[in-house]
Amino acid sequence: MPRTARAPWRWMSFLLLALTVVAVPARADTPLQDVLQTVQAEVASPARGTIPDVLRALLDADAPGTLEFLRAFADREVVERPEDGLFFIAQDGPDRSLILIDVDSGAEIATVTTRDVNQIRPNAGVRREIAAALVQFELSAPDPARRIAAMDAIARSPDPEQMPILAASIPDEPDAAIRARKERLLALLTARFETDSATRVAAIEALTGDVSTEARRVLNQLLQTEAGHAQFVPEGVNIARIRVVGEDLDLLRAHARLAEDGLVPPRPGRNAIRDALRAHVVDGHVGGIPVHRLTDEATRREAYRALQEDGLVPPLPTEAEMRAAVAQFTFYDRYLEDDPAVTTAARAALDSTRTRVGLFQALNLSLEALSLASIFFLGAIGLAITFGVMRVINMAHGEFIMMGAYTGVVVQMFIPSHTVSIAVALPLAFAVTFAAGVAMERLVIRHLYTRPLETLLATFGISIALQQLAKNIFGPQARPLTSPDWLAGAVRLNDIVSISTIRVAIFFLALMFLILLIYILNRTRLGLEVRAVTQNPGMAASMGINPDRINMLTFGLGSGIAGTAGVAIGLFAQVTSEMGANYIVQSFMTVVVGGVGSVFGTLAGAGLIGFLQKGIEWFNPANTLAAQTYMVLFIILFIQFRPRGIVALKGRAAGD
Amino acid sequence: MADIARPVTLPGAARPAPPRRSFLREHPSVLWFMLILGIFTAGVTLLSEAFGIGLVSTSLVKILGMTLCLCLLAVAMDVVWGYCGILSLGHFAFFGLGGYAIGMWLMYARTEILVRQSLEAGTIPPTEREVSEAVASQIFSVVGSNELPLIWSFAHSLTFQLAMVVLIPGLLALVFGWLAFRSRVTGVYLSILTQAMTLALSLYLFQNDSGLRGNNGLSGLQNIPGFLDVPQSVISMWFFWASALALGLGYMLFAWIVSGKFGSVVRAIRDNEPRVRFLGYNVEGYKLFVFTLTAIIAGLAGALYYPQAGIINPAEIAPIASIYLAVWVAIGGRGRLYGAVIGAALVSLLSSWLTGGGAPNIDLGFYRIVWTDWWQVLLGFGFVLVTLFFPKGIGGLFDRLVRKQE
Repeated sequence: MPRTARAPWRWMSFLLLALTVVAVPARADTPLQDVLQTVQAEVASPARGTIPDVLRALLDADAPGTLEFLRAFADREVVERPEDGLFFIAQDGPDRSLILIDVDSGAEIATVTTRDVNQIRPNAGVRREIAAALVQFELSAPDPARRIAAMDAIARSPDPEQMPILAASIPDEPDAAIRARKERLLALLTARFETDSATRVAAIEALTGDVSTEARRVLNQLLQTEAGHAQFVPEGVNIARIRVVGEDLDLLRAHARLAEDGLVPPRPGRNAIRDALRAHVVDGHVGGIPVHRLTDEATRREAYRALQEDGLVPPLPTEAEMRAAVAQFTFYDRYLEDDPAVTTAARAALDSTRTRVGLFQALNLSLEALSLASIFFLGAIGLAITFGVMRVINMAHGEFIMMGAYTGVVVQMFIPSHTVSIAVALPLAFAVTFAAGVAMERLVIRHLYTRPLETLLATFGISIALQQLAKNIFGPQARPLTSPDWLAGAVRLNDIVSISTIRVAIFFLALMFLILLIYILNRTRLGLEVRAVTQNPGMAASMGINPDRINMLTFGLGSGIAGTAGVAIGLFAQVTSEMGANYIVQSFMTVVVGGVGSVFGTLAGAGLIGFLQKGIEWFNPANTLAAQTYMVLFIILFIQFRPRGIVALKGRAAGD
Repeated sequence: MADIARPVTLPGAARPAPPRRSFLREHPSVLWFMLILGIFTAGVTLLSEAFGIGLVSTSLVKILGMTLCLCLLAVAMDVVWGYCGILSLGHFAFFGLGGYAIGMWLMYARTEILVRQSLEAGTIPPTEREVSEAVASQIFSVVGSNELPLIWSFAHSLTFQLAMVVLIPGLLALVFGWLAFRSRVTGVYLSILTQAMTLALSLYLFQNDSGLRGNNGLSGLQNIPGFLDVPQSVISMWFFWASALALGLGYMLFAWIVSGKFGSVVRAIRDNEPRVRFLGYNVEGYKLFVFTLTAIIAGLAGALYYPQAGIINPAEIAPIASIYLAVWVAIGGRGRLYGAVIGAALVSLLSSWLTGGGAPNIDLGFYRIVWTDWWQVLLGFGFVLVTLFFPKGIGGLFDRLVRKQE
């Protein structure tokens, strides 16, 4: 059984890899070489009976480098120097020489020939012992991280021999969570490798409703099929389905499958026919047909049949012949797993898990959509305010987002702590873009209130100038805006539902802005004046409100929000000079769909667009571009039916 | 109003027919434009490498020819925006669609010629299917496919693809315009909607499975099937002449359309749409006609432009390109056709001169102004200044000249 003998080394090297990642703490005890010398004879000539003592000695001492040594030991890379009895790890050098590596320092000691040292060759039994001991040791290691790493390694490359070791480590497990994980892992191994059918079925039934990727992978592995065919369906084969030629199996494909097994002569394909014709050109004719006429399939087949009658080429079977040949066989898919009870149980378990998986996927999608909606909302709300109050379209809005993000980048250059720098950057970005917005309103937009289309163009001019300026100052490459560590991870419910912490934070930021804006608009003097100017600027002016001042403040507010949003967006997207341009069209869509001049409208618009985009992505997950295309098309159609958006201002306030 | 001011004629007496003046006499600018265009074309021809003394290089001829196409596009944009008041941010997309339509034929036909050459070297001639499969794998291997997409079914036919140059932008504009105008979407809303259309189109074309080679676009378009052995210096002149002719004809067509009664109605729609509607005009019909016609002309201009550029990809169609188009027209001066031509020619030539590294950088001692970096900043702020202080653009200078003479 060479396969099973080899298998432990494969997963053991995974295990070792996992362990080296889990930083080995510095241990200032005896060097490994000294430990090895205490069991010198047993290491030099390892045997099944003595190896447990060696392993116990090594693992108890737990000197640094033990794991590497054991891997080398198992891979037959350890040598003994006869002069002093020291052990080294040997690597192949040039010209069949060996490079000796010190087991403690990992340094290259010397280059020798194979004759200078004794190569130690543990047999398969010893190597299995080593592997098992290693796993056992790691599964009961005092450090929980190492225990988890060991289980990850087992889950990645499972093996039947791990079952007793894993089972043995469960009773002593102190941590309840790790214990549960161990039990589940054992169930997975049992489902896959157990020999007793009833135990396996029980283990599989226990997996019903488990939505973790590991469990579903095991179930899917049990249900793997391979195509087969035979004259009569053989006994003892676990058939998944019988295929009917012509219905769920193509005739040509079925014939080709028979040909692959040499049961029928292969049918020459188009290229084979062409090559055969090429090989039999005689005086510009093939099978009596002039070469220049061979420009369509039918003529070529005709020429081929002529060659076939002369016995020059293998026969081209007619459809009837192929049907007759295929009819003698039954085509089926068989499970690789031979036990029908197991596959039936696995199928049932998987089917009942599917509904749960679907529900969780829908939940995950909703979370993603919510996150996307909050990003759209953050990007669009500033625009909605300026557009709503002033009927002015600000094409440079995206550049304010960019400006905010770059403010964050600059702040991070001066303040090394990420948490503090973000806390400083958020208000600073608001201040910077507020000032920029006010300046733009005073210098440019004020003069164009009567010409809205030209505002669009002028702000566009500002937009391209600002983009290029940012590129000149910060360079064309993306700048990092690093989030604090406590925002780096993800909130995970299970293997399906998870969302990165940063997106949760952005959701709350959006929520905060929503509440803040509603408060400002509905509960403050400024809000009252803003609403008055929104609804009727002329009347508002007659009531003693200064529309100029309101316009300026509104524009500053909208721009400031864009800047703050820029910091948030920069945390998960790349900060480049073009980042604003990526959001501007979507922000406009959000405003237009939601309805101009209403916070709730923008909220509804962002929600609709976010959920819609994620919904479309669900049908075609690989293609985000297609989702965006269809979404824009949908919005164009949507405007047909509600030209003023979801939340439309009514009456005279609507302006016309 | 004019009737009231006119002296009262005796009842029964025939009203004197208004003097019929020729179209060209009424619009002297058209004549001037044709004259300048003709002199320019002749001049470039005489200076070209292929037919003249070789002072103007082939690549410059191509740039000039492409500029003429952009001028035609700008004229179309001026009609739809400057005369009809629809700030369309989709006309560069129509331009690109025209380029794609002709590009499909150019690419297919050229690949087919090459494929046939290599296949016919074999002992037996290829079947049609083998040819089309080989062509497909040549064209689409770059996006990991070797099947000919459905939209390429007629790519071998020049007539069909030429029809598509007109039909695709035309039909798209017709359907989109009909939807937008009938729901009375106007002003900035309409601009955003057209921008959304452009965005959707470019996103669609960016996909690898759009059947148009994703972001690789179509390339090798400068090689004209059937004339593969004609040198580029000659082909570039052919396209230059064709572009000049197209610009001349297009200018004349639009000048004729915007003059006369139709033009008056279109301008009235720009100035006060509800009032024109109340007067009983079918505003949507007028707008739809102008929108669709300009889209078709834009498609034709694109079909002439991209064989000179040699490559087309979805980035060309991105919303920003359409906005640049609006910038050209605004700088040149809206509401006058020659203004659009001046704006497009000036800004696009200046832009390719400055960003192409042709212009000398200015060393200020403490800072070095590199034009490739600062041109966009200059253009952006310059554009803001033009919008604020010269709403009539460069064309407005002509008005001042004329006024001074009077």
